[in-house]
Amino acid sequence: MSPNLLLPEASAAQLLRRRVLGAAGTLLLVGTYLFLVITQPTGIVEGLGQGVALATFAAYLIAAVLLLLAVLPDLPVSALTLIPVALALNIILGQFVGSVMVPLYLDSIGTVLVGFLAGRRAGAATGVLSTLIWSLFAPTVLPFAAGAALVGFLAGTAARYGALRRPYLAPIAGLVAGVLVGVVSSPVAAFVYGGTSGVGTGAVVAAFRSMGDSLLSAVTKQALISDPGDKAIVFLIAALLVFALPKRLSGSFEFIRRYKVLGKSGNK
Amino acid sequence: MKRRITQLHPFTVLCLAVFTVAVATAASVWWLSCAVIVMCLAIGAVAGKARKLAALSGAIMLPTLLSLLMIHGLASRDSSPVIAAWGPISLTRGGAEVAMMLALRTAVLVVVGLLCGLLIDKHQLVAAIDLSPAPPQAGYLLASTLFLLPQMMEKQHAIGEAQALRKAGTGRGLAGWLQRLRLRAVPLVLSSVQDAHDRSVHLAARGFPARGEHSRLRQVADSQIQRGVRWVALLCSVLVPAAILVPFGGAA
Amino acid sequence: MMDMEHRAPVESTSALHLRLGSFRYADADHDTLRAIELELSPGSLTVISGDSGSGKSTFGGVLAGMLPRQGADSCEGTFILAGQRIDYSPEHSPRIDVAGWARHLGLLPQDAGLYLSRIRQTVAEELVFARENEGMPRKEMTELITEFSTRLSLEHLLERDPSKLSGGQERLVALTALSAANPSIIVLDEPLAGLDSTATATVTAMITRLRAAGTALVVLTRTTEAWEAEAETLLTLADGTLRPATRTARTAASSSKPSGFAAAAASEKPLLAFAGVQLGYKGASAPVISDLDLEVRAGECVGLAGANGTGKTTLLKAAAGLLKPIAGKLRVTAESGMLLQNPSDQLFERTVTREIAFGLPKKGLQRARVPRILEQLGLASCAQTHPYELPASARRLVALATVLVREPRLLLLDEPTEALDPAGLQILNEVIDSVLERGGAVLFSSHDERFIARTAHRVHRMPRQ
Repeated sequence: MSPNLLLPEASAAQLLRRRVLGAAGTLLLVGTYLFLVITQPTGIVEGLGQGVALATFAAYLIAAVLLLLAVLPDLPVSALTLIPVALALNIILGQFVGSVMVPLYLDSIGTVLVGFLAGRRAGAATGVLSTLIWSLFAPTVLPFAAGAALVGFLAGTAARYGALRRPYLAPIAGLVAGVLVGVVSSPVAAFVYGGTSGVGTGAVVAAFRSMGDSLLSAVTKQALISDPGDKAIVFLIAALLVFALPKRLSGSFEFIRRYKVLGKSGNK
Repeated sequence: MKRRITQLHPFTVLCLAVFTVAVATAASVWWLSCAVIVMCLAIGAVAGKARKLAALSGAIMLPTLLSLLMIHGLASRDSSPVIAAWGPISLTRGGAEVAMMLALRTAVLVVVGLLCGLLIDKHQLVAAIDLSPAPPQAGYLLASTLFLLPQMMEKQHAIGEAQALRKAGTGRGLAGWLQRLRLRAVPLVLSSVQDAHDRSVHLAARGFPARGEHSRLRQVADSQIQRGVRWVALLCSVLVPAAILVPFGGAA
Repeated sequence: MMDMEHRAPVESTSALHLRLGSFRYADADHDTLRAIELELSPGSLTVISGDSGSGKSTFGGVLAGMLPRQGADSCEGTFILAGQRIDYSPEHSPRIDVAGWARHLGLLPQDAGLYLSRIRQTVAEELVFARENEGMPRKEMTELITEFSTRLSLEHLLERDPSKLSGGQERLVALTALSAANPSIIVLDEPLAGLDSTATATVTAMITRLRAAGTALVVLTRTTEAWEAEAETLLTLADGTLRPATRTARTAASSSKPSGFAAAAASEKPLLAFAGVQLGYKGASAPVISDLDLEVRAGECVGLAGANGTGKTTLLKAAAGLLKPIAGKLRVTAESGMLLQNPSDQLFERTVTREIAFGLPKKGLQRARVPRILEQLGLASCAQTHPYELPASARRLVALATVLVREPRLLLLDEPTEALDPAGLQILNEVIDSVLERGGAVLFSSHDERFIARTAHRVHRMPRQ
């Protein structure tokens, strides 16, 4: 009758299910991307490529949701309570930056912060969720969920392999992450929306187009111009924020302790 | 009528939205897209949210439209007649048409999506997710984020006041801006991460996340008809686009 | 089934037996708790007192099974709870199911708001949050809510938004939610801190009811005064270990009223003057304060008294220049400095020294004052600590130091006694005296009537709106 005071161990069947979901999500994402890049469907102009648009939209969104379902049950409660904070930070700090007309979006500070503190799974989940919830206010961001998941995932990976042990390593990791994210997200911009949604970025794409690039390569080049710089700054800011946390707080995240994310000083 | 709409099960609204966006995108004819947008505005008007809907969608669509015009209208490589030209830059008719069609496609998504966001009661959506087979964490994350946002905005305001009292963050230029960003961000992140951490142990003590069956006190009105509508809508949002696109796709 | 009066009798007479050898945080170099033995019997009230930073909250966490964190903190000891024996050793700490634990032993944190999930729209939903996670059918939950709300007279709160409750209501709701699980032991961390007299009475009445129903209660508190009459066991937590406490809790901290200055004050020019002032926030329908007349002269210490929500904070913010009056005249003729209610809002540096010296010119007079301020506020020993790692009382003093370093002539304090331990109170009194001595003035708000009577020359009562 009396409830247990100790926890049971996780069962193998649950673990397998999560692995399968995660693998399916990744495969779908990679598969769609490769298909789009290799076949380069030209439908955008003749018939406007509705099929490609719908398929890309659906595949990227479903992949993101599968990845989310794969990681959610594994996350400790300390990571779960951190995720909403991260999303709110994405919005509030993004807004503060936006209010001073700096040509960056910096809308992923929270996602990267969670990646740094709670690991890549939590980071990826934050990316997807932040996009899903943000889509209630701006529906067009929906298919970018996969890209956001990648940002969080890469932030966690970078932290795990020591990007936070030296302050200058964080922006370098951000630069690399920005390249990958830009490449992965551009098919969405190109095939779902036929371009970008900002005036400034639109001008850059138009310039590449007039030089004779295909839409996908023009959008990708534009992403490669703005994303790495943006992510480098975001990684740097998030790293500085992590450094500002008191040791007892940052040390309470198992991820930080296990991988000695902050180096020796972070783990006495 | 207004109560009818707002009392629909949140998933019903979402399924109908998916269906509408899928069909309108697949059909890609201007009058259908326009009809969908007008219909959404009408529903918004019945629910008393037309003005908000129009303002929000306008804010998203205007830059998108400009961007698309630049990409396709100015840099178009087709040989259709030129509408306007400014020196080396020219806007072709074909390009403008492509841009308009793409903009309409995005507009349907934006207007339908925003309408969902305005119609669905957030608490009902959270309860519906909790009562569905989705992991219990999903409902918490959605709810917590939606309710945390205004609280953190308030906190951000309080921090701004506190810093003003210390006469901190009055610098000018890039250095001043960076200083202000730090003064805002560090206390906000510190206190909210600490708060999240303190909160997590009590959430765990209250049995969250549920490991087995979980229930909700809040009821989400549902009916056999709505369940049917949801399945049909989801099925149709796959079948109808397939029916429209597959023969043409084969021909192309 | 949820009736507390008919709890199944426990085999052994004690609800909990704890023998704690030691507890140490992951990054600490000394044990926070050591050599503690505690036994609780049903219906008993155990009061554990200790200064801020003595490890009360840590002990609460250990009792609630939230500490040690697995794989981080080290702990050695044995629990016997609900007929089960749990052994902690430095090599092996068991994976505690905190939810299962909470069904036997519930912990109400000092900030009761932390206990609330913050994701439910109504108090009724919040009350059964834990039951929802257990999968209790809706009908049983409804019955449970009716039963508890009538017994604890909470009906008027059931449909309210939990995030818009006052501090006292928040604590009541959290305590009700906690007791809905029917735990045999409830641990309360500072259950009366920051409550006005009405809220104190309600919370105390609830505690009496819970005890009558057979729940063993543990109260963690800074001062035992309010509990001495009721408690069976009085203990003190000092140097990490529990000792029996003496029943003379009257601390010598009370300083005499600096009455000499009050007489002189009448002739001085006012540093702050409100005349027919109306204050309010943008978008609010009614002003928070109307027709306010108040003068504060040099050498004078004025207390603001009044129930929660009567605009004490608003008045102070206006005096600090954060808020412009809607109508009337507000004149401030001296440099002012304000201590906000929540110190976390303004702390952002990595060490206490950097925090206090922030924004001061490198070679200025003010910067030279930093070491003296640290000394004056008793913070010299933690000059290189992260402000967030300090106990609440010291953190409050750090925030006070950031204000004092600029030597304001008009010192504005919003609930300065909150979170201060007796030593901190003593320092606060000294600070107020020193400001008055150098010809300044102090305006503070508080709901601690005794502190007001002791400290203020004059009291301004805020009218109820």
